[in-house]
Amino acid sequence: MKKINFYLLEYAINYILRYKSKNIFISIVLTLLVAILASFFFVQNSLKLEFESTLDAQPQIIITNQKAGRDTTVDEKVIDKLLNINGVGDVVSRVWGYYDFSHMNAKFILVGIDEFENQDNATLASIAQNVDLNVSSMLVGQGVKKTLSNSYYRKYFNFILPDGESKKIYIAGTFKATTQFESNDMIVMNKDTLRNIFGYKKQEATDLAVTVNNPKEIASVILKIQNMYPTFKVVARKDLKTVLQSQFNTKSSLFLILFMVSLFTFFMIIYDKSSGLSSEEKKEIGILKAIGWRVEDVLKARFYEALILSFFSYIIGIIIALFFVYILNAPILKNIFIDYHTIENNFKLPFVLDYETLLLLFLLSVPVYLFATIIPSWRVATLDADEVIR
Amino acid sequence: MIRLEHISKIYDNDIVALDDINLIFAEGELVILKGVSGSGKSTILSLIAGLLKPTKGDVLVDKKHISKLPDHFCSQYRRDNIGFIFQKYNLIPTLSVVDNILLPLIPLNLDEKELHVKLESVMKMFSIVHKKDIIVKNLSGGEQQRTAIARANVNNPKIILADEPTANLDEKLSLEFIKILKELKSLNKTIIIATHDPLFFDLDFVDRIVEIHNGKLVCS
Repeated sequence: MKKINFYLLEYAINYILRYKSKNIFISIVLTLLVAILASFFFVQNSLKLEFESTLDAQPQIIITNQKAGRDTTVDEKVIDKLLNINGVGDVVSRVWGYYDFSHMNAKFILVGIDEFENQDNATLASIAQNVDLNVSSMLVGQGVKKTLSNSYYRKYFNFILPDGESKKIYIAGTFKATTQFESNDMIVMNKDTLRNIFGYKKQEATDLAVTVNNPKEIASVILKIQNMYPTFKVVARKDLKTVLQSQFNTKSSLFLILFMVSLFTFFMIIYDKSSGLSSEEKKEIGILKAIGWRVEDVLKARFYEALILSFFSYIIGIIIALFFVYILNAPILKNIFIDYHTIENNFKLPFVLDYETLLLLFLLSVPVYLFATIIPSWRVATLDADEVIR
Repeated sequence: MIRLEHISKIYDNDIVALDDINLIFAEGELVILKGVSGSGKSTILSLIAGLLKPTKGDVLVDKKHISKLPDHFCSQYRRDNIGFIFQKYNLIPTLSVVDNILLPLIPLNLDEKELHVKLESVMKMFSIVHKKDIIVKNLSGGEQQRTAIARANVNNPKIILADEPTANLDEKLSLEFIKILKELKSLNKTIIIATHDPLFFDLDFVDRIVEIHNGKLVCS
């Protein structure tokens, strides 16, 4: 086995240090490039995980009522009839909706619960079991609490009712949901209080959550419900997941295109800097050839030099991205991805380290830089040494 | 033995550097190539070193057709046989003396002990050991030349080629170089020097003077 030529390696390190300013510039650009791209992928992966967990917490089937193609409330009286359909395990009415906190420039989700009813979601079930929410109290998510506090609503908030009157609801505390995505902009209150805020009548709900005993029967249950109630819009969780995921992917793709454009620009800068050999560098290659170095010796030295520089930049870029995303919580970048209801999302991104992403980033940085360095050196090294050193 | 057979060299800009040159250099011989600037002396050295290919003719070193060797083998031939002292030394100015002298040995990947012995002996021989860690661009002209000579000899080549070795030196340093030359000659190396410095023409240890004018041999 051929032993590693450490003298050549030492020469390569020495070469990096001798052309310090050029190599520092290249290293900074390459590090930034890797850091930006890695941050983008890390945020995307984390949000995808958070997003999928949130969707997994959704009911198997959601029923909404429509009038003239617009969503309207569902009457809770249909629940008994739906429970009679073969295969249906449970039907829970849900009262929820967005409330516009316009002066705070934010929209939060209000969710109503009834302690005597089953809940369709683990977070709400836990709240219903452990907290006694009376008609004038509410529990708020961490993000909501911060936004309300910023507007000096630390103990209560006055909701405006449809008739223009205001209703004071006290903040009983905060809650933690299974996903931070969910809890960030959510407010939980008594179902009747929420009906009052939204102007719903007694026994009116926003939608119904249906649980099917055997998941294989979901499609046939949907068909039966649609036959019974033609005005109902019946959506399965997996369809909802597909639609929302495609929306998320479209958004990611759009930003990826933008990133690719800026990446291309960065690569051009790097290519220009690394491929434009100075007369000094060209002469050095000529001298090496004249004293007996073969083309492959010259290229090996340049390979080591480019590998050291690009791998170092890659590692530093990844470390910066990890720090930016998981320690600083990806300011700005995170909100670009989220179809947010609040101005700020304060939830912590879950740590996801995907090896495929790391490999992709490696391939986008290290080999590209190696080629950009070796090809121009090869061109010079294959010329007559006499021509280069004269 | 080095043979130049019917060598012509025409550069890309149609300048005729050499025109049908025939020359033989015996082993251990010290030959001066004499001629004015642009006469073709340096081109002869570059052809012997395999740094250039002739337009016509053949260069044979120990019966090997140097001018027909592919680039890869040409480099290897230079590494094993040639020590070239360039007119402007062609040192890497940002490297230290020892790092410059080490350069021809790097591709050989020798073990540390052997490498150390070679470096030390060549630096001692050319009195540059005390400057070994100094960056070359900070050295005087004479010291730079000694570094270049040390680099050319670190592989113990049998052929030494020197192109205008005293062009950038004062008289005192030129005489020092002649002393070194005598030492190299005593080691039975074949030495070819391209120069127009009269200092070399009356040396008793020079075997032959070859005069070149406008790419043609005038006398040998």
